[in-house]
Amino acid sequence: MVKAKQTPLNVELLLKKLVEELGFVNQKLGSLIELNEKLVKMHEELLRAGDDNSHFEAKPKLEPDVMSLLSLPPSLRKTAMVLYKLEQATATDLARETKRLRPVESAYANQLVRMGYLRKKREGREVYFYIESPLEVRK
Amino acid sequence: MRKKVMAIHSSRGGTGKTVIATNLAAIYALKGLNVALLDLDFRAPSLVDVFSKGIKEPVGHWLNDFLDGRCKAEQALIDVSEAYGLKGKLLLGLANPAVEAIRSIMEKSRTWEVTAVKRLFSLQSTLFEDMDIDYCILDTSPGVQYASVNAVVSSDLSVVVATPDSLELKGLENMLAELYDAFSKRTVVLVNKVFPETRVLLSDKQENLIDRMEKLLKHPIIGIIPCYCDVLQAKRTSLLAVDKPYHPFLRKLEEIAEKLESMEEADREESVLAH
Repeated sequence: MVKAKQTPLNVELLLKKLVEELGFVNQKLGSLIELNEKLVKMHEELLRAGDDNSHFEAKPKLEPDVMSLLSLPPSLRKTAMVLYKLEQATATDLARETKRLRPVESAYANQLVRMGYLRKKREGREVYFYIESPLEVRK
Repeated sequence: MRKKVMAIHSSRGGTGKTVIATNLAAIYALKGLNVALLDLDFRAPSLVDVFSKGIKEPVGHWLNDFLDGRCKAEQALIDVSEAYGLKGKLLLGLANPAVEAIRSIMEKSRTWEVTAVKRLFSLQSTLFEDMDIDYCILDTSPGVQYASVNAVVSSDLSVVVATPDSLELKGLENMLAELYDAFSKRTVVLVNKVFPETRVLLSDKQENLIDRMEKLLKHPIIGIIPCYCDVLQAKRTSLLAVDKPYHPFLRKLEEIAEKLESMEEADREESVLAH
């Protein structure tokens, strides 16, 4: 008899609790969807920035050491090799070294930036490409 | 204006790379050219022993220290030209032979290697621009290791020392195709320790061997040096170019040194025409 009286009360409580929890989950899902939309937007902006030579610098995805040069296609390898020699270079500097056209070098260097192999920075009107190393290079 | 970097490399150890590198450097310095010789064989350093007679004071800074950013270029270089009576400068950059230093190099990260190759380029620019050096010769470690690939990437010309051993030639064929061709580096092969029994000292036999090896390796052979027992048995501290200047090994190496110089002249003329 005691058990029969207690059961409906427990179900009602459980249902209330469930509705509360569902509301909480719904709220969290809303935040996650919002966050995802923000990330997608940021990603699109970063990709656009990489394409139009702006001040964007990608996080390196691979170590730009000499061994990883071997896994690059020959066209990109030639550009990357020049940047070991010149600490930083514009597309014009790269073209002078590789004896290829400036727009070609600009395209290759930007591709290497997107791959995370190179970094780039703007100084006035010039855009410089460089290989990032954590230690300062001193003569 | 010469200013060229030559890497002396091989696909495996024991080909005579260090004897070639040290004597090539001494031959140029005896002629009055200014030379820097850098020991990039950090796992098995040897230049410190070869030049021990000429190193008068304890080594204060090693090439390891420079690559680690712990000293300046000029602090890591030792001038031994006076000690050996050389007409030109001979600056040495020595690898530290202490076990602790070798262990430290073996534990270096890929990030450190990125900095190391940039420092190597900066050292070469200091040698050429501030120290009036004509040739920078890099004695590398054999095979494909960071130190040797860094040397190949930073050089203008690579001299690959090989012995006519069939197993070695197979390894060399792969290394030339996969490393040197990938970096589009000017490369020549020097065949060392050719046994006199093969009679390659006869000119027609030599041409035959050169033809066969050039076809196999698809790279020019700069010269053939026979195997000399007394060179193999010579003390590690003996610098043949100074101690035995009339030795036939030296005659052969002098011919090769001249060929390397004339190759460099041709490159310069080509570059002037291209501009």
